[in-house]
Amino acid sequence: MVLTTPPVEPVIRAEQLTKHYGAGLHRPGHGGGPIRALNSVTLEVAPGEIFGFLGPNGAGKTTMIRTLLGFLHASSGSATVLGHDIATDSVALRRKVGYLPGGMAVYGSLTGSASLDYFADLQQREPVRRDELAERLQLSRSDLGRKVRDYSRGMRQKIGVIQALQHDPELAILDEPTEGLDPLMQLAFYEVLEDLRDAGRTIFMSSHYLGEVERVCSRVAIIRAGHLMAVQHVDELLARRKRRVSLRWRGAAPDLSEIPGIADVVATRDRITATLSGDVAPFVRAVASPSLVDLLIEPARLEEVFYEFYAGEDGDEPGGAG
Amino acid sequence: MSLRVLRQSLFWQRGRLIAVGLAALAWGALIPTFYVTFQDLFEGLIEQGFPENLLNFGSGSLFTLGGAMTIGFQHPLGIGLVAVFAIGAAANAVAGERETGTLEVVLARPLSRRRFYVSVGAAVKIAVAVILALLLAGQVLGIYLLGVDDEIDMVMVPLVWVVGLMLWAAFAAFSLAASVSFDRRGPAIGLALAYLGINYFFEILGSFLPDLDWTQEYSLFHHFNPGEIVTGNLDPIDLVILGVAIVVPVIWALWIFPRRDLAAPA
Repeated sequence: MVLTTPPVEPVIRAEQLTKHYGAGLHRPGHGGGPIRALNSVTLEVAPGEIFGFLGPNGAGKTTMIRTLLGFLHASSGSATVLGHDIATDSVALRRKVGYLPGGMAVYGSLTGSASLDYFADLQQREPVRRDELAERLQLSRSDLGRKVRDYSRGMRQKIGVIQALQHDPELAILDEPTEGLDPLMQLAFYEVLEDLRDAGRTIFMSSHYLGEVERVCSRVAIIRAGHLMAVQHVDELLARRKRRVSLRWRGAAPDLSEIPGIADVVATRDRITATLSGDVAPFVRAVASPSLVDLLIEPARLEEVFYEFYAGEDGDEPGGAG
Repeated sequence: MSLRVLRQSLFWQRGRLIAVGLAALAWGALIPTFYVTFQDLFEGLIEQGFPENLLNFGSGSLFTLGGAMTIGFQHPLGIGLVAVFAIGAAANAVAGERETGTLEVVLARPLSRRRFYVSVGAAVKIAVAVILALLLAGQVLGIYLLGVDDEIDMVMVPLVWVVGLMLWAAFAAFSLAASVSFDRRGPAIGLALAYLGINYFFEILGSFLPDLDWTQEYSLFHHFNPGEIVTGNLDPIDLVILGVAIVVPVIWALWIFPRRDLAAPA
């Protein structure tokens, strides 16, 4: 007898998902015509993973999220979320999902507590994680008792995070979740995500920030102009990334061209800038010298990585949708 | 319908509801006073040859108590009081939340767009019903205080409220239909105000210019005449017309709202 484990049902499964906005008036050479926000996107997100959805502004990240949640209607293709078809069963799927929109909007006339109560009531699930989340994100009772209109941007974002996660959803869909959070709160938020993952929950988050994705995501999809360019494990992505390096040097500038992974070298009087791909260690060993005054290795921004690896490939047309 | 959305929508309107409600009560109480005070003056003007139609206002006049009650509902002040909710709150109900971005936070819950529409629509109609009831209560209060209650059939007064509610439910339904059709409150409120203004223009134009009195037939205001109702002359066709004016925008809203793409707020 052969024992086989049943195949794991993906939490999100999109097949050829396409979203085009409006026919518009198209005249060759004058722009117009439909906006191709998503083009035949196919991907699967497994249970229990933190999945990053990456791309520059206008790439189609928000369009993908809004289509999955039923705010936008797919032009073609299909998708299921937690087994529910997004076209026919979106109300049922939203019962199991927590959603943080980009640029979280709040009811200014309500207190933080009243806002969370309202959203919890509409969710029709107990806000079992609210107190824990408020504590970890440092929203005190007195903060929650104040009108939301008096909140800072960061505090509003915290309310957004709590309303998305307070009912312990099976799937959290988070659109740019750390916008407005200070670095300490970002760290606290990453720990919350990791705890949710450890508890078997699934996170689907969009982000501009490669560092954030490196920190928490196991897999990522990269989208550009509505085209899914890659779905990779983070380790694979890191192996391809480039960093911008900058050195200040005393005396004659060293020759960096022999160092593995170094490119785009620009030398001025006392400063050298370049890009570095691959392992950092050989580079650091090569430049370690008493003549080195300063060394800066910047983490590459997602946009830079994206365009470095995908420039010239398919998908150059504008996306036009977040 | 979501009772939670209904309750929250009414909660947000509570301050405005109290202020406008008190104003409606006071305005209603003034109407019989105007009638008692100016009736003799106006009749004297007519005996001196002043054109009677210029002393009318819409479908109302100050020559009868019923006519004065009609003026109470058709005067710009009376209309403005009810329009705060039937036009302003209704047109803002969906488009306003859409513009600020809170709609998507609400609709991310297990709540269909139709349920949301029905819930905020019910809240608007409850507010309108309360304002109309207070305006009418003010009129009844004034009528009893001035001792002119024998001039109308007081039993018909609740019917005035019902038909008035139908008239303003029609405007609210149109405003809500505009609200679900736009992503910004400006166009929704503008369209709703234009609809109200056109109806009002046709009603007033016909009352001042007898040659153009046919325009009144095209105004919803003409189909709510408290003066005729309190004298037992309600025309059933008015109910049909107002009913159609309610149902058509409701059907449009229920059809279009679930089909619209709700892109990210700008």
